[in-house]
Amino acid sequence: MSCEELRNTQSYLDGELTGAEAAEAERHLQSCAECQAFAASAADLSDGLRQASRHTAPAHLRAAILARLDKEPSRFSPRSFWMGAAGGAGVSALAAGFALLALLPPSIATLTRSVADAHARALTGGKTIMVASSNHHTVKPWLAAHAGLSPPVSDFAADGFTLTGGRVDEVAGRPAAVMVYRHGNHELDLFAWPDRGADLPGAGMAHGFRTSFWKAGDLDFAAVSDVDQAAFQKFVGLARAQRE
Amino acid sequence: MDDRRRRFEAQALPHLDAAYNLARWLSRSPADADDIVQDAMLRAFRAFDGFRGHDAKPWLLAIVRNCWLSAGTASRRRGLTSLEESMADEGPGPEEAVIQAGHQRRLDTMIARLPADFREVLILREMEDMSYREIAEITGSPIGTVMSRLARARTLLREFVKEGA
Repeated sequence: MSCEELRNTQSYLDGELTGAEAAEAERHLQSCAECQAFAASAADLSDGLRQASRHTAPAHLRAAILARLDKEPSRFSPRSFWMGAAGGAGVSALAAGFALLALLPPSIATLTRSVADAHARALTGGKTIMVASSNHHTVKPWLAAHAGLSPPVSDFAADGFTLTGGRVDEVAGRPAAVMVYRHGNHELDLFAWPDRGADLPGAGMAHGFRTSFWKAGDLDFAAVSDVDQAAFQKFVGLARAQRE
Repeated sequence: MDDRRRRFEAQALPHLDAAYNLARWLSRSPADADDIVQDAMLRAFRAFDGFRGHDAKPWLLAIVRNCWLSAGTASRRRGLTSLEESMADEGPGPEEAVIQAGHQRRLDTMIARLPADFREVLILREMEDMSYREIAEITGSPIGTVMSRLARARTLLREFVKEGA
């Protein structure tokens, strides 16, 4: 290890940097061969660790814990009743707040959640792909016809991200074109929708999915996936670099 | 069911797998992990009124780690190599499963070989997706220490993989 930025590159790959710091680290990563090698081996290691055992609590343990909690004295107090009631009021005020938000242009927090929701919805419904093709000449016209959008569509199979198809989805209540990619067992969604001048969130996380947003031309883009940070950064780099 | 129990089941109990995984990797023994997690969940429940965060996961994992530390003296006295115990519970399967299990077991053995200080930051970061700050809170160490241990853990593991290939 000789590059002085290695520690910083590690923080960046672990998703610890945001804003200007992240941009700075990304710029450095683009130009430093040593940090690129480090990033690649970090990605390999993370992939490898996915195959190590993540132990889950055995059923007998769960049952034993619940049984022991049952034996704990219950501490009902009138105060907890009122706290519960106040909590209820808080929740409905929150719901009213959300109803109001729906009328406004999507806020930064809404966008992060909205793309993660759309991605999760598609994954759980098994409907990530409406047009299955690794050929961008098929996917692009399909998206143009069905989403009314013509984002750049590229296959990054050579870099480990295979184009598997596209679909039309919804982000914050508006239609979006989605390019679907596969990386190992993981799926990545690349959303595109017309730019309406709204601010975009920085890189973030929602429901366990990584998200990244950017603008290019007259479109807003969002990448969403549960791949590790290094692979996600690589994908975002490729997607941002593509041209019409 | 009273309100505290309900909140505990909604906020803390969903992290039972994370608690168990950490306890398994720290103790390297299924039997010890059972004891540590039972102890930790009970302590967490009793202390739950004092919990004032929005995410109970790091809070719970810190309790698991403390329970492991206090249990440590007891299991050291027992003097058993818990690693062997934990490896003994996997039976034979179809050929592909055996290769898969063999690969997984090698990797598990390498992680288990890491010193505990390095092992815990690696598990918290790579399996439990904890941030540096959360790892610092759980382990009671400065963030700088978390970063250097994580770097060291990854380097060591890479060396193990190279040797063991």
